[in-house]
Amino acid sequence: MGAYILRRLIWTPILLLIVGLVTFLLNFYGPGDPVQIIMQQYQDPAVVERVREQRGLDKPVLVQYGIYIGNALRGNLGESFKYRGQTVASLIGKRVWVSSQLGLAALILSIVLGIPLGMLAARWQGRWQDTSIISGALLFYSMPVFITAPFLLMLFVLWLGILPSHGWGGLFDLRVVMPALILGLPGIAFIARMSRNSIVEVLSQDYVRTARAKGLHELRVYWHHVLRNAMIPVFTVIGLSLATLVSGAIVTETYFGIPGIGRLALDAFFARDYPIITALSLMIAAAYVLANLIVDIGYRFIDPRIRYD
Amino acid sequence: MKAKTVLTILMALMLLLVGCAKQPPAGGGELVRLGDEPSTLDPHLTSDVDSAVIVVEVFGGLVTLDTNLKVVPDLAEKWSISSDRKTYTFTLRRDAKFHNGKAVTANDVKWSLERAADPKTLSTTVDTYLGDIVGVRAKLAGESQEVSGVRVIDDRTIEITIDAPKTYFLAKLTYPTAFVLDRDNVEASTEWFKQPNGTGPFKLKEYLPGELIILERFPDYHLGPARLDTVKFFLGGGTPMVMYENDEIQITGVGLADLDRVRDPSSPLSKELHTATPGFQTSYLGMNVSRPPFDDIKVRQALSYAINKDVVASTVLAGRVKPAYTILPPGFPGYSADLTGLRYDPEKARKLLAESKYGADPARLPRITLTVPGALGTAVGLDLEAILAMWRDNLGIQVDVQQVEFATFLRDLDARRLQMYAIAWVADYPDPQNFLDLLFHSQSINNQTGYSNPEVDRLLEAARTEPDETARFQLYRQAEQIILEDAPWVLLWHPGEGYVLIKPEVKNYLLLPIVVPRYRFVYLEK
Repeated sequence: MGAYILRRLIWTPILLLIVGLVTFLLNFYGPGDPVQIIMQQYQDPAVVERVREQRGLDKPVLVQYGIYIGNALRGNLGESFKYRGQTVASLIGKRVWVSSQLGLAALILSIVLGIPLGMLAARWQGRWQDTSIISGALLFYSMPVFITAPFLLMLFVLWLGILPSHGWGGLFDLRVVMPALILGLPGIAFIARMSRNSIVEVLSQDYVRTARAKGLHELRVYWHHVLRNAMIPVFTVIGLSLATLVSGAIVTETYFGIPGIGRLALDAFFARDYPIITALSLMIAAAYVLANLIVDIGYRFIDPRIRYD
Repeated sequence: MKAKTVLTILMALMLLLVGCAKQPPAGGGELVRLGDEPSTLDPHLTSDVDSAVIVVEVFGGLVTLDTNLKVVPDLAEKWSISSDRKTYTFTLRRDAKFHNGKAVTANDVKWSLERAADPKTLSTTVDTYLGDIVGVRAKLAGESQEVSGVRVIDDRTIEITIDAPKTYFLAKLTYPTAFVLDRDNVEASTEWFKQPNGTGPFKLKEYLPGELIILERFPDYHLGPARLDTVKFFLGGGTPMVMYENDEIQITGVGLADLDRVRDPSSPLSKELHTATPGFQTSYLGMNVSRPPFDDIKVRQALSYAINKDVVASTVLAGRVKPAYTILPPGFPGYSADLTGLRYDPEKARKLLAESKYGADPARLPRITLTVPGALGTAVGLDLEAILAMWRDNLGIQVDVQQVEFATFLRDLDARRLQMYAIAWVADYPDPQNFLDLLFHSQSINNQTGYSNPEVDRLLEAARTEPDETARFQLYRQAEQIILEDAPWVLLWHPGEGYVLIKPEVKNYLLLPIVVPRYRFVYLEK
């Protein structure tokens, strides 16, 4: 197990180097030039050339990448092109924290509501409760943010007047409710459907019949024999979605005026803000590597049959 | 009148004056609105409206624009211009102070201009706004430490020499690139602009990127302190109409989708609706005059004559824009209301097309592709759809639309690769030179249509140095008339803030077509 984790960890920086290089190449060879965007319609070739030189953009792409890696290893991720004079670290740091908190709130909501709903649906398999939970879940899963957000805004802000319409105050602030609900809805639906299907499948296994035949209490059957096995695929989904915590949610964040990473990422892309784009790619790639590792290690605890040698 | 009475009145007056000085000005409180994230708060790096709206409130320069858009004194109380019209001598105000109380001196001005021109500052606007000053280009090229055209005479006197007589030079000095900074403040840290020591009517009280900006009144402001205590800008976005109706913000623009509901006389909101004057900008379809079929002036004119902009503006765009018939927007210095431009005349359009070298049969016309900037698959504007339909109906011309993401669009525009493109020009400073010379002089780098007319060049060059304003504007008028006739652009709109909702307690919020310091005039009346 230890050797396995070590091997995975050694591969991580190599993977990140590759992700960084691909990002750099795409930036370099893709259309659009950050200097042109800053200059808008004032395209004095001499000025564009001067600014490109000042930003180090005139160097060959591999040299630029080498300089970037060198600086990054010293903890310097550079300065934003768009937000002039501001460092990438100061721009990203706080926003990642905000986005992760919001993502976490949504994730907790989807687990806390999704799994019990799935269990209930499985319990009443084929009956009207099952159908309504699962079709309700499907409905919420398919509803885009630009429908749920205005609806919740109308309900909570304009009619009931109990929630502020925008802003951010952390996990323990009323303003987290609506965005977390909106981001959590698809998660609730997805996890509910997945848990239901998984539980239904496990319920038909022989060992469950054996457990029941032994005269075990139904709750005990569920807790010890069904859930533990049924949760493996659900756990995978939850684990992998940990990575999305840092990538932010563009539409929801914009709708509710939340200073998260999503909006910054979008603006950075359109402004060809290479330092921000590269830093975000690396961060999100690292988050996926980490989430995968967590899932793999987690399996070991849920299902002792799984071994890594 | 007896001496005692006079004395009493005098004392009463003095008390009143003392009272005024001590008490905060009436109408204070907090104004709250949405704002867009500024790219920077460093004036010398400012090149966009989102940054400028904050920067002009916190900082200032030698001169500024008043609400009538005239160049007026700011840190300088007066100036004189030499007889060759190349040297400007500014006298600084005695009471001009930075926010920390330090007096503004001529050395601060010199240091600031040299900092803007320092290649290490990475300013992208310095060439445009300060490039006329002798020595700025040498400093930018790294050939000189100083800017030779800026000379300190004494603490309160500074002399600026430019390379040729240019009447519009003063207007350029109102842009943030020419603003005066405090050297100690700037050299204190790399992100100094998050705790700036400016000279403007407001201090930056709080800046949380992505969240909010709070401006606070600077009580010693030399042009008269603001009445508001604070101005709060939410930067994170949100849903403006909901926030306005929920009393979370006091000012918001109204989009096309909400306009009918807000305009409905039975809605209480209709009483809070204000119409903004059109902004100082002109949107247009540029045509590359060297690419067929736009190499024929008659094709270009026909396209302009074939569209009924009045109808599109009033119906499709619900009156949120003003149809453009001139290049200079209404109200802009040098604007000539009597220039008629090319007005809707489908008969004439068909006739012109028939007379062109391509003939009346649209099938013989080279394919036309209109490139529009856009992102995330946004729809082509309804106005463009209507115009394309008019070309089809009136001339039988089918124009293809190609949507390109903005960064790519700019690259192709710069390389003059686009045959026809949709874009707008926004005024940087209130002088006709900013539109006509920059966009239509054959040697200008901003002339993306490749338009060239020696007579226009001659008029524009004469206008650069003409000292008399009336004569100068007359030259621009003649140039504009010729350009309109040559039709390198299909003029579209002078867009503006359109409709704006303002809460009744907010008084004297001026809807101005250009970025100028405006919050110091606002007050609240509960």
